[in-house]
Amino acid sequence: MTLTRRSALALALAAGTALAAPAALAADDIVIAGSIPLTGVFAFAGVGVHAGIQDYVKIANDAGGIEGRKITYVAEDTAYKVDQSVAVFNKLTGANKVHLYYGDSTGFAKTINPELNRRGSILMAGASFATELNDPKAYPNQFMAGPDYTEMFGILLQHIAKVKPGAKVAFVNSDTEFGRDPIAPSEAMAKKLGLDVVVKIVTPPTAVDVSTEILKLRRADPDFTIFHGYVLAPLPEFMTQAKQLGLKTKFMGTFWSMDNSLWPKVGDAADGYMGVMPYRYYFDTEGKSSMLEKIRAMRPEYQSTPYMQGFLTAMLFVESARRTVKAGKELNGANLKAALNSIENFDTGGIIGTPITIKGNSIPVGRVYRFDAAKKSMVAESDWIQLGK
Amino acid sequence: MSGFDWLFFTEVSLAGLGAGALLALTGLAFVLIYKATKVVNLAIGEMLMIGAYVFFSFTAGLGLPWWAALIAALAAGGLLGAVVERAIIRPMLGESAISVFMVTIGLGSVLIGLVELTWGAAPTSLPDFMGKAPVFIGPAYVSRKIVIGFAVAAAVIAVFLIAFRYWRGGVALRATATDQGAAYSCGINVPAIFSMAWVFAGVAAAGAGVLVGAVGGISPNMGVFGLSALVVVIVGGLDSIAGALIGGILVGLIEAWAGTYLGGEYKLLTTFGLLLIVLMIRPYGLFGTVEIERL
Repeated sequence: MTLTRRSALALALAAGTALAAPAALAADDIVIAGSIPLTGVFAFAGVGVHAGIQDYVKIANDAGGIEGRKITYVAEDTAYKVDQSVAVFNKLTGANKVHLYYGDSTGFAKTINPELNRRGSILMAGASFATELNDPKAYPNQFMAGPDYTEMFGILLQHIAKVKPGAKVAFVNSDTEFGRDPIAPSEAMAKKLGLDVVVKIVTPPTAVDVSTEILKLRRADPDFTIFHGYVLAPLPEFMTQAKQLGLKTKFMGTFWSMDNSLWPKVGDAADGYMGVMPYRYYFDTEGKSSMLEKIRAMRPEYQSTPYMQGFLTAMLFVESARRTVKAGKELNGANLKAALNSIENFDTGGIIGTPITIKGNSIPVGRVYRFDAAKKSMVAESDWIQLGK
Repeated sequence: MSGFDWLFFTEVSLAGLGAGALLALTGLAFVLIYKATKVVNLAIGEMLMIGAYVFFSFTAGLGLPWWAALIAALAAGGLLGAVVERAIIRPMLGESAISVFMVTIGLGSVLIGLVELTWGAAPTSLPDFMGKAPVFIGPAYVSRKIVIGFAVAAAVIAVFLIAFRYWRGGVALRATATDQGAAYSCGINVPAIFSMAWVFAGVAAAGAGVLVGAVGGISPNMGVFGLSALVVVIVGGLDSIAGALIGGILVGLIEAWAGTYLGGEYKLLTTFGLLLIVLMIRPYGLFGTVEIERL
């Protein structure tokens, strides 16, 4: 057969369809599905999350699954677009009996919530730490595998209040839903802790140059500057110019700006940058952490912080399912959530350095890490901080 | 106004000028292509991104000195412009403007995919090559990168302005822009002019990419910067090189003032407010040719 353009296309299509067909699922499999951003602006996180979920599912299946039932993970790319995310949700839940779901964004979590509540069959977590989602009444079938953004600020502010009581603090956030999320409640919290919020700076989502913002920061002269709503840019430029100007402020960030691979290239300017991390880093060796050892054995190269997020989310999914199955209850949203909320003083195998208890939709625990430019790595700056204790 | 901080105002204005220069340089790439070929190339932001990533590969990856990497990035930008023009845009010759416009949007997506496949999706920083010492103009502080960006953008735009006035190729490009048929009949190789415009635009975009990347870091979504520059060229006039410079500086200054005295949330609001006003008063931009076809 000569390969014409048409037959080549048909061949490619057939091959694509064969690849896309999910592995045969047994009827009693426990299914985790996911809208995962493998391309688009959030792809750096999606790739890590995807690998983290895959690895934990493999570990759990190798250990016998859930009471002998196999765990299956199916996912598709969303390009970090809410409409595509919803389409993936419909497709995956149509083709499989899904019990647990990983969503890729705040927008998706809010959009799909009425549908989750209507179905009542799925427990969902995801990449969003939006404060709004941390409300078990409005979002009964969802949770997040870490502190919400306001709680992240809370952890940072508590640390500041401890090391420098009465400190002057600046907030810098992007003008997005993500960026605005924790600002207002955190200002109130800072006041309660006796800290002085001297300036709040907002940057447009497309901002490249931040020279004017630096000038504002210089006039306000804060002891600490907390960024939120960014991944990397424009933090390095803030740090570089602040260093040029000899500003004394220390810079801080939240979870998505804390991956270790982001900072070595920024170099000296990033030395001393701190931020809140709900999880240990891949390379942390303090204490005993059986899971980190397993991860390092499976993957000899560094794994990102989104990887840890995906890994822990899968662990909590599996733990909730295990508790539900053990109790002889049906695997549905309400039972899975009740099982999740029964988690008390739970050992995450060292992913989080302290036992966790999940009362509502979040895990209000974290730790401040600091970037050490000489070591090219994040080092622990504080102990584990549990809010509300 | 006794309490007004003039030093602060000066510093903010200088920062605005610098930011505007980056916009103007990117805007130049839009203008070069539009002027010669009447194509609005929405993939300029992504061409800029490719320039930054090539620079990144040659400095951080291969360890070349910055000037060699810069030459490589500019060459890659020019090559990309040539390939895109020859392989994608020329076959579209004679199609409606909106079709070509849509093709450039598709091209942008392809370039983003290419970057994600080649370099990965994680954002990163360019190695520092501009030095660290702060710059003070009198008592006023201004970011070093912004000073360099301003100087480069102003020099490049001046070179293009002079070239279009006195150089044969530049005159040929202007002739083609005015009347393709007449240019053909005078013996000007119009397809070669199209290629030349795309090559120059590719080089300008790559240069802008290195500057933008040095200030704001690089990531597969840094191409959105191209959209900010599109505003600049619509304000300045899509076919005016001087318009790109003046539009860039105007938008840079207004954003800096709005961001400082009203708050960061007002930056885009004032930019697009300015765009609306200009479009109402001069739909072809401040310095554009009157018969521009609007999309």
